[in-house]
Amino acid sequence: MSSTTALRTLLRTPASLRLLLLQTPRSTYHSYDHAEQPVYREAERTILSSALAHVPIHGFTQEALTLGAKDAGYLDISSNLFPKGTFDLVKYHLVSQRLGLKDRIQFPDENFGVGRKVRNLILERLRANVDTGIVTRWQEALAIMSLAENIPASLRELGALADEMWFLAGDTAVDASWYTKRASLSGIYAAAEIYQTTDQSTEYRDTEQFLDRRLEELRTVGGAVSGTLGWAGFQAGAMVNLLRSKGVMI
Amino acid sequence: MASLSLRTSRHLATSTRTTAPWICQSCCQSRTFASSVSRNQQPPPPPSHQDPTQPPLPGTRQDDAPTHFGFSTIPSTLKASRVANVFSSVASSYDTMNDLMSLGIHRLWKDHFVRCLNPGIRPTGPAGLRSESTKEEGQRILDIAGGTGDIAQRMLDHATTVNKDMKTHVTISDINPEMLAEGRKRFAGSDYQLAGRVDFLEANAENLSTIPSNSIDLYTVAFGIRNFTHKDQALREAFRVLKPGGVFACLEFTPHLSNSVLDGLYKRWSFGAIPLIGQVVAGDRDSYQYLVESIERFPGQGEFRDMIKEAGFLVPGQEGGEGEKGGWEDLSLGIAAVHKGVKPV
Repeated sequence: MSSTTALRTLLRTPASLRLLLLQTPRSTYHSYDHAEQPVYREAERTILSSALAHVPIHGFTQEALTLGAKDAGYLDISSNLFPKGTFDLVKYHLVSQRLGLKDRIQFPDENFGVGRKVRNLILERLRANVDTGIVTRWQEALAIMSLAENIPASLRELGALADEMWFLAGDTAVDASWYTKRASLSGIYAAAEIYQTTDQSTEYRDTEQFLDRRLEELRTVGGAVSGTLGWAGFQAGAMVNLLRSKGVMI
Repeated sequence: MASLSLRTSRHLATSTRTTAPWICQSCCQSRTFASSVSRNQQPPPPPSHQDPTQPPLPGTRQDDAPTHFGFSTIPSTLKASRVANVFSSVASSYDTMNDLMSLGIHRLWKDHFVRCLNPGIRPTGPAGLRSESTKEEGQRILDIAGGTGDIAQRMLDHATTVNKDMKTHVTISDINPEMLAEGRKRFAGSDYQLAGRVDFLEANAENLSTIPSNSIDLYTVAFGIRNFTHKDQALREAFRVLKPGGVFACLEFTPHLSNSVLDGLYKRWSFGAIPLIGQVVAGDRDSYQYLVESIERFPGQGEFRDMIKEAGFLVPGQEGGEGEKGGWEDLSLGIAAVHKGVKPV
């Protein structure tokens, strides 16, 4: 669009809405029609991805970040591009694996239930920790994430991951369960990830079983809660009807 | 007491203002506490008259286009010398005055500034020792407007004690020889001076012709850039001298605090107390009046971040790379801010 057309569009819009047009087009929802804007700039992406390659040896440290900057052709001092230092390195892993999840897993079979899809998504995301080789160092990352100044950003990222998983699983619920689903999935994923860091079994079979137990619990508890709520609702309705039959004006 | 009054009178003699027509007269007169505070709310005074002999050409930078000096408007050609006068007169008491005016907080800001930059190259290798095969050079740091050398001292201390880097070198540059003399005094006979890790350069930051392009790892300017006549020119010059991947870092006051109530209190302090402390301690009210006025005239954080971007730097800490949010770090509720830029490879 040429600048004159853009200006004309802007002037034609009511004054109260003009501000919306001037803002950068960055949506908070998923759009099927527009490509996502990249989260990281080219320089940040190259430095951080080469820094992650040093994590298995050097851990989530400033040193890994510095070595990554050098590998990418930058200087020692260039790690100043990341104001939060090591947490930016951790966050890069979280963001890139979250966005990469949709390419790691496909569901060609339509009779896959939402529950099974979510289980596979969690396992796939945990496998990404193994594939990048950072799982042995992930406890350091969890420690960095649990620092007071990093907790809000870490929780936001966990919420975004849960949201991404439900979206990829094809869940379209818009009722109050939207929140409970994301909250319970966040809890289960965080627990499974912590379990994974101490898992010694081959191919992380223990983590898989741990995850299955947690999902089973969720099903049991979720069923019990909805059953209890249904029973209470029925009892309340029956009580109202009983009182009405006795002449109470309700 | 006699020396104090002597210094006052000497300064008054040097700072007698020329009565050229392009100086906004009303702004230069009667700098009292009350008038300063009320002027704080007013829009910047426009240049009252253009020099009739040289009409400004549209689209080109006029060398004597009017610029601001505190709240007064003067031709650009005069600004450097006026700033030089201010700093010549405050050089000897500069560090003491900083302590008094900021209640010592400027030390915390500078410590934080240096710590977050993390200068110096950490030795690599299995035993934590620098392997001889990799010929490490140490970093080249350029501290612009670093006259009294307090930033340079911190840089070298950090590099040496934290990163065990014995080679990193700091060039202290200042336009003002009297401020540099304070720096020389600080480093005289020190280990850094003996090891040749510090040198001094008298230069204008807008034209660092003696420094080759792509030669500096870290360019710092702490509480200096607000006095530059052409800040954009200085930023372009910083971009030129830095190596690809080099870092531009700036610690500077901000004109407004984000919280308007605190901003009012802070403005009371800066316009009321600082010139008064200057008068009592350094015997020089006008220089400190200039100081607070120049803070008021410095661009806000967002605007300055965009200036850094315009010079070609990558600004750290911005979500999604572009946009309106972030890109600097506020210190002490936003009284000062740290700005950084990385030269892309």
